[in-house]
Amino acid sequence: MDTAEHDLIVETFRKAMTGSSGAALDAALDELGWADLLAEEPDTAIPVVFTLLGETGSHASVLNDVVAQAGGEPLGTTVTLPFTGGRWVRWERADAPAAQPPSEGAGDLLDPTLPLRLAEPGDPDLHLAAARRALGWWLLGTGRAMLALAREHALARTQFGRPIASFQAVRHRLAETLVALEGAEATLNAATASPEPFTCLLAKAAAGRASLDAARHCQQVLAGIGFTAEHDFHHHLRRTLTLDGLLGSARDLTRQAGAHIREQGHAPRLINL
Amino acid sequence: MTSPVTEPATIGEFRAAVREWFTHNDLSAGPDHSLDGQVAQLARVRRALYDAGWMRYGWPAEVGGLGGPAALRAVLGEEVASRDLAEPGIYSMIEVLAPTMISYAPPALAAEMVPLLLSGAEQWCQGFSEPGSGSDLASLSTRAEPHGDDWVVNGQKVWTSLAQYSQRCVLLTRTAPGHGGITAFFVDMDTPGITVRPLRTMHGIDEFAEVFFDDVVVPGDRMLGRPGDGWQLAMDLLPHERSTCFWHRVAFLYERLERLVGETATTTATTGAAGADDADLGAAYLALHTIRCRSHATQRRLADGARLGPETSIDKVLLATAEQRLFDTARDLLPGAVELTDPRWRSEYLYSRAATIYGGTAEIQRNIIARRLLDLGKE
Ligand SMILES: Cc1cc2nc3c(=O)[nH]c(=O)nc-3n(C[C@H](O)[C@H](O)[C@H](O)COP(=O)(O)OP(=O)(O)OC[C@H]3O[C@@H](n4cnc5c(N)ncnc54)[C@H](O)[C@@H]3O)c2cc1C
Repeated sequence: MDTAEHDLIVETFRKAMTGSSGAALDAALDELGWADLLAEEPDTAIPVVFTLLGETGSHASVLNDVVAQAGGEPLGTTVTLPFTGGRWVRWERADAPAAQPPSEGAGDLLDPTLPLRLAEPGDPDLHLAAARRALGWWLLGTGRAMLALAREHALARTQFGRPIASFQAVRHRLAETLVALEGAEATLNAATASPEPFTCLLAKAAAGRASLDAARHCQQVLAGIGFTAEHDFHHHLRRTLTLDGLLGSARDLTRQAGAHIREQGHAPRLINL
Repeated sequence: MTSPVTEPATIGEFRAAVREWFTHNDLSAGPDHSLDGQVAQLARVRRALYDAGWMRYGWPAEVGGLGGPAALRAVLGEEVASRDLAEPGIYSMIEVLAPTMISYAPPALAAEMVPLLLSGAEQWCQGFSEPGSGSDLASLSTRAEPHGDDWVVNGQKVWTSLAQYSQRCVLLTRTAPGHGGITAFFVDMDTPGITVRPLRTMHGIDEFAEVFFDDVVVPGDRMLGRPGDGWQLAMDLLPHERSTCFWHRVAFLYERLERLVGETATTTATTGAAGADDADLGAAYLALHTIRCRSHATQRRLADGARLGPETSIDKVLLATAEQRLFDTARDLLPGAVELTDPRWRSEYLYSRAATIYGGTAEIQRNIIARRLLDLGKE
């Protein structure tokens, strides 16, 4: 795929995600040929679609498709997925209760817009590598969205007669955020180039950690306005925490990585020149 | 002396051939971990690798090299670091000094001098920082004044690594005001008027020195570039420092992580707490994996002809953070080793504290990221 084609795909999907979310976006993605793209060009489909979900703040149930494809199952099904703390969830292919007229249980979850539902334990042998990588891209996109909001605010907001972007403490928090996100992106690219389960696990851990760091720094830079429900920031914060927990949190996965190198007595060099 | 039988055509073949060579050529360091011992070991390793040809790959023929991509140097350095054959900081100095000569020295001078460095015959140093000019390098005040065909240098440098062992110095001087008034020279360290006074370091390996210049006469043909090119020369070092050098250091840190894993296995076997430290080990490993992935991408871009710029400040922050995390983890997981029982962990732990100081401090990197990458305007 050449750059022009790639850019076209990005723009097309971005437009779809800016206009819709949830079940409507699922339908829009179907129409745009998501299933074919995932089958034929997974290394484009997954980074593009999942990063854009993060950047635009919209959501779709496409994670099910990535898991289904990895397990050789037909697309369009719903898979029970592990969540941190030994819990299991299903990502429904419908709108979240909270997005519909108020019903019992609405607002039970941190991110009430997601159609997530607690479920009975599912298959412990699911192939999660590709889905972890996908969630990593989503977390990266969410982190970038928060950085963009904080950067914009830092340049616009004036205190003590100058933009807060001129204060070194503010600048360094945003720099720290960029470092974390760029580092995570490098691990995600590595997991795309060599998609072994361990490389994907590390990429999800790095992206979860980076997005959590982004949330902390950007919240501080946005200060009061970022604490209001009127500002978009809190949606991304909720998304970050929820996606981090899905398929193993940064903390869980980092511990697993540590156990792995301890048991092997070896720290694998997963990427080589 | 064995030399490569066939030309390695790919990086993978080069790596395999180097590994094969190492199985027959044991260059392990002796028990002397003093700086004298380290510098002697470095010269020995360079000599052997040069004679076998490996040290010449990735360098152009004009300076005695055998050609090929710079990644070959990264691979060789990785093999050296993984075997713990040479201290990576001093091993990698070549990666900034030789490219500077290739880009800025008169070609005949580069052709004469670079092989002396590659083969371990000489050590060179980099005289940039001054007592009054650390982060604000552009404020440096060591003067060079023209005198016929020569230049006369007066002033002082500080924190100059390996100055006490060096035959030559890449020296930044002031010849006019401002960034455009900095001029670089390639100075013989035995020139009359140069005094080197080693400084004690806190980790016990006194790698750097103060260097005093008192009416030091430098021939005009030892100028690197033209008058006023010094600032650009200093900026042009960064892509080298932040590609091959970083790869070497990352390789060294992986080796140390494995040593830590080995040593904690013994401790936990006695305390019965296997697994308790996995989160810490994992975090140290994840930080190393992250900078390795980032550095890999940076070298890819360099190989594809990209000009590296301020985005390498991200590599620098990731590396310094990973290094300090690793040694903090070692101290946590091997209680008492740094303080009481293990001089090597102690020395390396202490040295890791400098990772956020040398090569541009952590704060300076964040300033660059904020200004140049995030476009936040002036402070
Ligand atoms: C082990 C080691 C080896 C070295 N080897 C060499 C060598 O071979 N050759 C050589 O020339 N130099 C060498 N150096 C020197 C090194 O480059 C300097 O130490 C470094 O540039 C910092 O300068 P400084 O120590 O004077 O600190 P300063 O510049 O005085 O900084 C002090 C503190 O102030 C902060 N600070 C300064 N300016 C700003 C700013 N604008 N914004 C925010 N914070 C700021 C710094 O980040 C730091 O925390 C070496 C240093 C070490 C530790």
